[in-house]
Amino acid sequence: MNRYLPLSILALAILAFATLMLVIAPGIQINARPAPEGLRPYTEAEARGREVYVSLGCLYCHSQQPRSGDQAPDGERGWGRPSVAEDYAYDQPHQLGTMRTGPDLLNVSARLPSEGWHLTHLYQPRAIFDWSIMPSYPYLFDHKDTAGPGDVVVALPAAHAPADGVIVASQKALDLTAYLVALDRTYPAPTNGLRDHGYGSSEGPEPTPAEEAR
Amino acid sequence: MAHKSDPKRPAEIYEPYEEQAGVPLPVIWIAIALAFWGVLMLYDTGDSVRVSLNDRAEDSEALANVTPDEGASLFEANCATCHQPDGEGLRDAVPPLAGSEVVAAGPGIIARILLRGIDGPLTVADATYDGHMPSFASALSDAEIARLASYVTTRWANGPDGAASSADDVTDLRGEVADLGSFAGGMELARLIPSLPPQPPMPAPSAAPRDDADVLQLVFAGRDEVWSCASCHGDLGQGDETTPRLAGLPAAYITKQLHDFREGTRVNESMHLVASGLTKGEMTALGTYFATLRVPSNAGAVLSGDLARGEELALQGDWSIGVPACFTCHGASGFGVAPGFPGLAAQHAPYTAAQLANWAGGERHNDPLGLMAEISGALSTQDRRAVADYLATRPPVPAVAATMTRMETDDDQ
Repeated sequence: MNRYLPLSILALAILAFATLMLVIAPGIQINARPAPEGLRPYTEAEARGREVYVSLGCLYCHSQQPRSGDQAPDGERGWGRPSVAEDYAYDQPHQLGTMRTGPDLLNVSARLPSEGWHLTHLYQPRAIFDWSIMPSYPYLFDHKDTAGPGDVVVALPAAHAPADGVIVASQKALDLTAYLVALDRTYPAPTNGLRDHGYGSSEGPEPTPAEEAR
Repeated sequence: MAHKSDPKRPAEIYEPYEEQAGVPLPVIWIAIALAFWGVLMLYDTGDSVRVSLNDRAEDSEALANVTPDEGASLFEANCATCHQPDGEGLRDAVPPLAGSEVVAAGPGIIARILLRGIDGPLTVADATYDGHMPSFASALSDAEIARLASYVTTRWANGPDGAASSADDVTDLRGEVADLGSFAGGMELARLIPSLPPQPPMPAPSAAPRDDADVLQLVFAGRDEVWSCASCHGDLGQGDETTPRLAGLPAAYITKQLHDFREGTRVNESMHLVASGLTKGEMTALGTYFATLRVPSNAGAVLSGDLARGEELALQGDWSIGVPACFTCHGASGFGVAPGFPGLAAQHAPYTAAQLANWAGGERHNDPLGLMAEISGALSTQDRRAVADYLATRPPVPAVAATMTRMETDDDQ
């Protein structure tokens, strides 16, 4: 092979350039941003719940990145304002996700702050939504004859309640719920918040087919 | 190793190589064309990035209220629907500003009233009114309240020039009155304004249903098979995002929705489960409970809707698309008209916009007069966001007295 030296130098230079522009520069840009005022670090229980969230693979069906109104009607869905980089200050690594088989969860606590609701829904989603395709997580719960002191009993409609005894939440379920109930980033976004500006147009979003027909 | 080989025989370890040669011309042209195209694309997308940057700048400017309107236009937009453009009020319903002893007390008092609202009977200009003024603390910025207070005093009380209220004064006031709630009618005002005429006494607070243990149990603890109201709608019925604000909605409206959730004529899976476990009496009691709650607004314009367009739809409607003004049915300032029309003011924008979309799409169809499907269907996505955002910025419904709501629900049955 001829001139392998310039060739390898060029290859390394291209790699270095890509690393600089795609890894180092964005890293500097993001690390320079302080955590927003409205955001607090996770408590210990919430951090443990986050581990459960990761281990159950919630990310495969739930994103954590609401979009702006000219990209999707996430606002009307109650999923919150478009997120900015600062919103993920305490998420290492972030759980952005790409699939939206289920709803976005970054602000789930703003619309559903009820711990009891989340426990019921985790135990058996079809106890609430008979059309839900979300897996149930019965192994996060214990079936007991009677609730002991400090046990959190799951509210269940008769059709899904056990014939005798009660369903109580395990520590894992309580942690996961604590994490979900902490997911609320509806505080005002920092005015210089870092995010993709998308391809906004002055006319707003494209009309839906129904609107076009009128 | 390679020694001089026989020139007649090909070298066995020959490695082919190429002489230095210039880049072919077509390749150079393609590279130049690609570079040109790249720059063009940057310029092209740069334009849409600029548009969205401007959008965001406008949004944050609207939030910070960098440029407050003039007093006159603020009055037109916020006060004139009730106090009337000439400040004469409505006989037996809304006290006048012209000739009012309260306005004569100066801009400091006006700013206090704007921040706290009034909730109780008061006597001004020789007539007694049932005071239900909302708090504008959530709807207006400090600078706007200062301008409005100065405008009202200058126009109707011939306030001296030095009486103008400044934004800094209002900032201080806001901190001072933050936890005080609404003025308890003329009685409390009279303590600040010695020149007021004798004031009517405050009616005794109604006992039920806030002290009803069964209702409190439902609201705060729930039942074995269902969650409590407060766990989603908040301790004070304030709601958030697509979970609606319940505080101050007409009692009969809340009762009807609970009934419709149970029957399935209004679709919401979680509420269906909750309502299925309630008796008719409990639904009525819950309606009355939430109707009498008073809580400051925690809603805001979050959908990037066009607030000017929203105001137009709410106040005037748009007859070019056949949409009447929201406020013709839902009451002046969107406070609702019992029993059928819920209050819209300070309702969360995502909830309002989602409900409008549900009406338009036919998923929700439980209004007694069947008006909402057509109205919502005529609105574009942008219009729905605009009107939802505008309504969310309005001051919250001043809750009606418990005695009144109980009468309404009794009539309803």
